[in-house]
Amino acid sequence: MPNITVYRAKVIHTLNPMQPTATHVAVRDGRILAVGDLAQASAWGAFELDERFADKVLLPGFVEGHCHLKEGGMWDSPYLGWFDRRDPKGKVWPGLRSRDAVVARLHEIDAEMAARGEPEAKPIIAWGFDPIYFGGERMTVDHLDRVGNGKRPIVIAHANGHLLNANSAMLRWAEISSETEVEGVVKFSEGALAGEPTGELQEPAAMFLVIRKVGNAGLIAPMDDNGMAGFAAICRAQGVTTATDLVNTLGEADLAVLERATGDDNYSVRILPAFKAFHGTHGAAAGAEHVKALMPRSTDRLRFGLVKMMLDGSIQGFSARLRWPGHFNGAPNGIWVTAPSQYEADFETYHRAGLTIHTHTNGDEASLVAIDAIERVLARAPRPDHRHTLQHGQMIDAPMFKRMASLGLCANLFANHLWYWGDQHYEMTMGPDRANRLDACQSALNAGVPLAIHSDAPVTPLAPLFTAWCAVNRVTPSGRVLGANERLSVMDALRAITIGPAYTLKLDHEIGSIECGKRADFAVLEDDPFAVASNALKDVRVWGTVLSGRVFPAIGNAS
Amino acid sequence: MGHSVVGPCVSGDWERVVGSATCCLPDESDLTLRSRIPLTVIGGFLGAGKTTLLNYWLRESRGKRFAVLVNDFGAINIDAALIASADSDTIALTNGCVCCSIGDDLSQALIRVLDASPPFDGIVIEASGVSDPWRIAQIGLAEPGLSLDGVIVLLDAQALADNLANPLLRDSIERPLAHADLVVLNKVDLADDAALETARDWIRRNAPSVHCCETTNAEIALPLLSGAHLTSESNTAPPHDCHEHCEHPEHAHSSVAHDQQFATWSCAPSRVYSLVDVKAWLKAPPAGVLRLKGFVETQEYGWSEVQFSGRTGSVRRALASPANPRTAALVAIGLNGSLPVAALISYWT
Repeated sequence: MPNITVYRAKVIHTLNPMQPTATHVAVRDGRILAVGDLAQASAWGAFELDERFADKVLLPGFVEGHCHLKEGGMWDSPYLGWFDRRDPKGKVWPGLRSRDAVVARLHEIDAEMAARGEPEAKPIIAWGFDPIYFGGERMTVDHLDRVGNGKRPIVIAHANGHLLNANSAMLRWAEISSETEVEGVVKFSEGALAGEPTGELQEPAAMFLVIRKVGNAGLIAPMDDNGMAGFAAICRAQGVTTATDLVNTLGEADLAVLERATGDDNYSVRILPAFKAFHGTHGAAAGAEHVKALMPRSTDRLRFGLVKMMLDGSIQGFSARLRWPGHFNGAPNGIWVTAPSQYEADFETYHRAGLTIHTHTNGDEASLVAIDAIERVLARAPRPDHRHTLQHGQMIDAPMFKRMASLGLCANLFANHLWYWGDQHYEMTMGPDRANRLDACQSALNAGVPLAIHSDAPVTPLAPLFTAWCAVNRVTPSGRVLGANERLSVMDALRAITIGPAYTLKLDHEIGSIECGKRADFAVLEDDPFAVASNALKDVRVWGTVLSGRVFPAIGNAS
Repeated sequence: MGHSVVGPCVSGDWERVVGSATCCLPDESDLTLRSRIPLTVIGGFLGAGKTTLLNYWLRESRGKRFAVLVNDFGAINIDAALIASADSDTIALTNGCVCCSIGDDLSQALIRVLDASPPFDGIVIEASGVSDPWRIAQIGLAEPGLSLDGVIVLLDAQALADNLANPLLRDSIERPLAHADLVVLNKVDLADDAALETARDWIRRNAPSVHCCETTNAEIALPLLSGAHLTSESNTAPPHDCHEHCEHPEHAHSSVAHDQQFATWSCAPSRVYSLVDVKAWLKAPPAGVLRLKGFVETQEYGWSEVQFSGRTGSVRRALASPANPRTAALVAIGLNGSLPVAALISYWT
């Protein structure tokens, strides 16, 4: 039995510009031995020809440079979002476009629970609901009490994480009534129920009353083995072979879950957890030591060493830090999650420890603070090839990208926002001018900034081809094109989901393109992304993946 | 006519205040029975001294068991001699207090300490930059097991002028003041006269109705920090016996206590109030009341727990009726000479 396998494909897009396409790839010891035609791939001697991909298209395995494992851990709870979403089992949950549709789905779930003999007191905890798409109409107990016989508590977490809806049964359980006097308990202003809670609970205080009763369940449950398995299944279905978990406290319990899952040869994705270096369990110096002590525990499928910091909040939550002229709707400026001076001091500590730091900066003021701080740190402590990366960077303009290029900073831009919140940014948060340069991918490339694009799953679904589609088309649900000149070519967009993020993770010598010496990581596709219309990029079908030479079909496909 | 007591405490420090109040209250006062757990939220920008204050609070617990929830667990630096045990997210102190990491999830951290048995005497949350302290503080108004004991905002007297001049920071410094019940101007020893005057003037303009105390090392009189110390049975710890100008670091708190002048007033209200009326009173209590807490009867709720701190008041159903209604008590504290005793008597008795 030869230890070389040669895969034949309909076409292999290597994303190596020196050899853009091939038909055969030879794999040995989990690594790419040769790429080209059959003659080149067979040059190393005895091999087994594997024809299973003969009618498929191979790309480098996709690399998601900013997502969270929680993407795989949400699915014990029903999804109520406005957009279609695929779960780890491959089931597509159709988007719900009206409140009646939401009620109907909850009604089905209640009936299923009753049929299974689940007690009436067991709550339904659902997620993904977003009233921003319902033109200002709010969900109330009027709707939710129509589910079943009204006795089962129901909690609906909103997509933005800042709101819940509860039905009357849940309100009673949480002891929320007309007497509850906190701002976040919304009450009917008129009608028969005037003064009674509507069931919408805003912000931490009101939400706490519900969380106190439903406990450590649903979306706030810690990551477990099922969630890890679900995450890997979603990755297989989306062609992802390497993914970050871009904030992890890396305590003993976290490490046990990560090491148990990735220690199994059948685990199909490589995970890079980033240490939470803000509001964390360690001061900066101790945190840097913690990360460095973990690095020797790295394996092929589990890589330690990344550090995550966070400067501001979110744009659609009006908690990002914006420069002049501020929010389009006049909302006050957002918040510093980390004070700028603390950021600079802690950044320097991790930087001097030799680690690569990924910083969450959504608003342009936060990005500027990061660039200024990093410039000073680098003047004090120069370090070649650090690959520090600004994550999200949604409002970075050309002058800032030029500074980033000078400093050796990378950008991982949140291209999915163009679709999911593009209209809201245009109309509410930042107005037309800045919405047109939202996630300015082409400006980043023009300035010479190494570029990746991401989903921030579970904030938006993990699906790199969809993310690439966003960057290529820049279209919103209402049909706007946000900044046509910022649109990426298909090639640049595919690089931004492969070799681009690999570079930001300091793994471009191992992954991100198909060439001799790299890991045998492939996204196996049914369609050729270069052959379809650019507005159909998101519809390219994924068969599965290959990770370090192991073949992993997506659910429903036979190996 | 209810039983009313005034405790003028001309000699100053808090031990004396409590002593004075205790001796005059009914022996078997129900003031501390069946109370909700007081919740305090600490806001303040980086460097203002939040961690120092929390350390001080934990150290000076005076027999009360506090749970302190912090964002930057790694920054907490508790004297090793005070630590009974520690793991990755909780430090237990020998005095019964604990310090817990909020981690990713304030709710879960708070549920853990709420469910502790026996219950803590007070819970303190350090608000991070993520959270406006008021957003968190409202948990104290909402959760049936908690009462809001106040929002304390720390300011760095030395850095305030510079921070306010920095357009990146100004709004972050200003915002928490909107709901502060107590402003602590810290590090006054490090600020020069001009900086101090600038800071005082800015506080007067931005939080005119809020009591401000000036501190070094974030050491504040305990009754201003926490209603848990505003009880008829507190301070079993012996008063320290340093001389007036003691500079022994272990007794650094005393400098605060020595020069603060508090007065308390208490009564056992006997009439039944209307809820609307009590709420109206709590919305605009007479000037000079820094804190008030206790039990009264209302027509709507029956036995009701009343709480006022700084500028936030609430009245909620009592968790249970007092065993002996005659002993249900109400206690107020203010600066000596400023406590509006006549107004308190006229409304509450």
